[in-house]
Amino acid sequence: MEIGFVLNDRYVTVPVEGTQRLLAVLRDTLGCTEVKEGCGEGECGACTVLLDGRPVPSCSLFAFSASGRRVTTVKGLARSELERIRDAMVTHGAVQCGFCTPGFVLSIKALLDRVPCPTREQVREALAGNLCRCTGYEKIFEAVEALSSGVRP
Amino acid sequence: MSRETLVGSRCVRGDAADKVCGDAKFLDDYTFPGELHAALVLSPHAHARILSIDATAARESDRVVAVLLAADVPGANQIGCVFEDQPLLAVDRVRFVGDRVGVVVAETREAAREAARLVRVAYEPLPGVFDPEDALAQGAPRIHEGGNLLRHQKVRHGLGREGFAGCDVVVEKTFRVNYQEHAYLEPQACAAVPSCDGMTVYGSMQCPFYVQAGVTRVLGVDTSRVQVIQATTGGAFGGKEDYPSEIAAVAALAAARTGRPVKLVLDRHEDMQVSTKRHRMAMRYRVGAMRDGTLVALDATLHVDAGGYAGLSTVVAERANCAASGPYRFRHAAVDTLIVYTNNLLGGAFRGFGNPQVTFATECILELVAAEIGMDPVALRRKNLLVEGDLLVTGRPLPGSAPSHRVFDLLMEKSRYREMAASAAAFNQSSRHVRRGVGMALSLYGCCLHAGGQHREGSGALVQVRSDGSVEVSIGGTEAGQGAFTVMAQIAAETLGADYARVRVLASDTRMVPDSGPTVASRTTVMSGNAVRGACLQLRSRLKELAASLLGCASGDLEVARGEYRGPAASLPFAALCNEAQRRKLSLFASGWYAPPPRAWDTETGQGEAYVTYCVSGHVAEAEVDLVGGVPRVCRIVAVHDVGRVVNPTLAEGQAQGGMVQGMGLATSENLQIDQGRCLNPGFTDYLIPTSMDVPEMEVWFVEDPYPDGPFGAKGLGEPSLIPVPAAVALAIANACGQRPQQLPVTPETVLRWMHDRSQGPGDAGGGVSPPGESCRRLSLPFPD
Repeated sequence: MEIGFVLNDRYVTVPVEGTQRLLAVLRDTLGCTEVKEGCGEGECGACTVLLDGRPVPSCSLFAFSASGRRVTTVKGLARSELERIRDAMVTHGAVQCGFCTPGFVLSIKALLDRVPCPTREQVREALAGNLCRCTGYEKIFEAVEALSSGVRP
Repeated sequence: MSRETLVGSRCVRGDAADKVCGDAKFLDDYTFPGELHAALVLSPHAHARILSIDATAARESDRVVAVLLAADVPGANQIGCVFEDQPLLAVDRVRFVGDRVGVVVAETREAAREAARLVRVAYEPLPGVFDPEDALAQGAPRIHEGGNLLRHQKVRHGLGREGFAGCDVVVEKTFRVNYQEHAYLEPQACAAVPSCDGMTVYGSMQCPFYVQAGVTRVLGVDTSRVQVIQATTGGAFGGKEDYPSEIAAVAALAAARTGRPVKLVLDRHEDMQVSTKRHRMAMRYRVGAMRDGTLVALDATLHVDAGGYAGLSTVVAERANCAASGPYRFRHAAVDTLIVYTNNLLGGAFRGFGNPQVTFATECILELVAAEIGMDPVALRRKNLLVEGDLLVTGRPLPGSAPSHRVFDLLMEKSRYREMAASAAAFNQSSRHVRRGVGMALSLYGCCLHAGGQHREGSGALVQVRSDGSVEVSIGGTEAGQGAFTVMAQIAAETLGADYARVRVLASDTRMVPDSGPTVASRTTVMSGNAVRGACLQLRSRLKELAASLLGCASGDLEVARGEYRGPAASLPFAALCNEAQRRKLSLFASGWYAPPPRAWDTETGQGEAYVTYCVSGHVAEAEVDLVGGVPRVCRIVAVHDVGRVVNPTLAEGQAQGGMVQGMGLATSENLQIDQGRCLNPGFTDYLIPTSMDVPEMEVWFVEDPYPDGPFGAKGLGEPSLIPVPAAVALAIANACGQRPQQLPVTPETVLRWMHDRSQGPGDAGGGVSPPGESCRRLSLPFPD
């Protein structure tokens, strides 16, 4: 079957097989190598994409479930927004091996869209679906807090 | 601006921006023209004889190009990195679940994986052995021709076991540590690309020279025909030390046989079953002490489960063997480390390399000794802490570059240990369902390779300065996330007086530098760092001569500062100087080589100069236990590390925090379950590494006492960052329960049993051992509220 969806602000149509995962379509058919496969069972979050603005593990979704919806990878973020997140993560040492990083970026973006000034607890919860084995998370928290505007409650 | 300010500053990683934006290419992000995909045919049996292999159905299957078996290996069918005990593809026998029998090569990954399931292997199952002690018993099934005892390593210090005579107290206990999975986020992956020139291998790896050796042997070609280039590597932690050689050799075999590029990427389940793990160890400890708290004698027997093949087990075990006494002084010691073949998963390198296990045992038995003589365990540690000049159990004095007392004192001060313990005790008085506890652990880590592996210590670097002032650096070490390339760039920029932002460290490539050994043992900052510094010092001296002649001063009067060579009257920008060097046909190309002097080591007695230097670390942890669910929560960890000199505070803190959380995982939620050699939880759904929800409040402090032989005084940090953590965390959890740990991880079942035992009667100091195979999630014990 063929499905169509908006990928990073561009409408794309792709042939998919019934049980094909969204991750496979993104990486293998559409060449979105910025979306990573870490565990294949929706636990690590390396394959996170935004589906209509909400972070989801693309390894655990059938490709057809994206039909008619908006799929955003890290490459689909507005330039200024990506640069802001990038600068915070780079400066705060939130990146080590980097394999999990594009997934974190999307979860962070979704959090800040929802809650511009999250508390530490809200940051922890928002990132609970993204595993990082290198940093111990602390510097990622710091980067997010640097991004959040104003005074936190 | 003062000299050498780059080293010690928070320079940003050169690779971070690309990683954030999704531009960094990991192995599976590359496509090679005409590429094929490989899938492994793996043994489902822990121990079996291979009767026959029928690959007909697989060969005939759609899009399959080749099915390769042992007979197809052109060179040696051998991939063991220390002992020649491991065939690349099994011939007549399999020795663990996941042993490789064959490889299927197909046009797509899915086709290869499906066809791998169609290879029919007829096995005759053989009795297996799954415990090192059983494996050493009379009549145990023999896993290899030479028997199941792979090696027996020893330390004999002072009077050895005779040293217990005259001790006031003797305490004995056996401690166990389960396997730990590395859980690097990027699974194992490599690609082999054939050409008329030979074979080029790309991969996620720590040790390109190991991969090169493995591929060379299997293909039966000259080393010069095999080029290995590290791709961006998504975490390693030791898990990409030796295993990448195995899959690279498989991919290279497939590429050589098909004449096309072959990619081999493991999925997570496969990866967790077949790749190496932190060794499971059983450690019987006996310690003799005097009533005044003086530790006198240590007797330890370590059983190290190597699994089906040797791999790096003897190398890992040697580190445990030498570190069995922790950072404490014993006049007499006898350590026997038995490295034993079983039909379990393969033990291998993992951050800390045998040291976290023995540190756990040492810290736990010290607590028991303290209880026995009625002494404060913190005072006991302080009293027996090795200081400069004290003999290590390996017979040499602790060098001055390991300031143990500074670490201890800073740890007590920064953690406010006494207050923390008092406040936990007060809290427990009033709390009904939650208990708090504190734990402390100290470790001593031999930095860089053990004397037994010192022939691999030499490290190279190549530095080129271009006429525009930009700099390229190549090293034999690798970047797996730890920040080694950033550290190298800082060292190069600092030494040359170059602009840090214009120093590039190139992907590790075996064609650029001589064999520089492995990227392990927290050695890269010291070894590769010294090699880079050496190369840059040559260039700096050439540039200084040139600058002196241009400025009309003596080269000794020049100061090299950030971005310029400054004379008494005038100065020259670095880039202009490089441009002038080019015009004058001066070479700005230099290689560096660093190798420490030879060290003596006696394998029979375990006496000698084991390491070039040592790193002392200390952790204090505070934990909370919910008495209803049994689930422990680590609230706070304070770390102090002696690192010589911090090259980059941001990176150093990041390493320390990452080590804390990974070590906390080993102590709490990470519980690999093995049944008859098969991993029961080979995925992230059931093997639980810490998430953002589990992270404690963390504090990291550094003691900077420059190491004279390190670049700018620096030592390693990668492994010390984890080593004391499991012990400190386990002691904190046990302390909350009024118990003492004997096993890692401390599962919720253990906690519930401890509480159950307590409610039944007086606490048993040795209680709370959960039987093997208990699940983290199966909360079966009723808690009597």
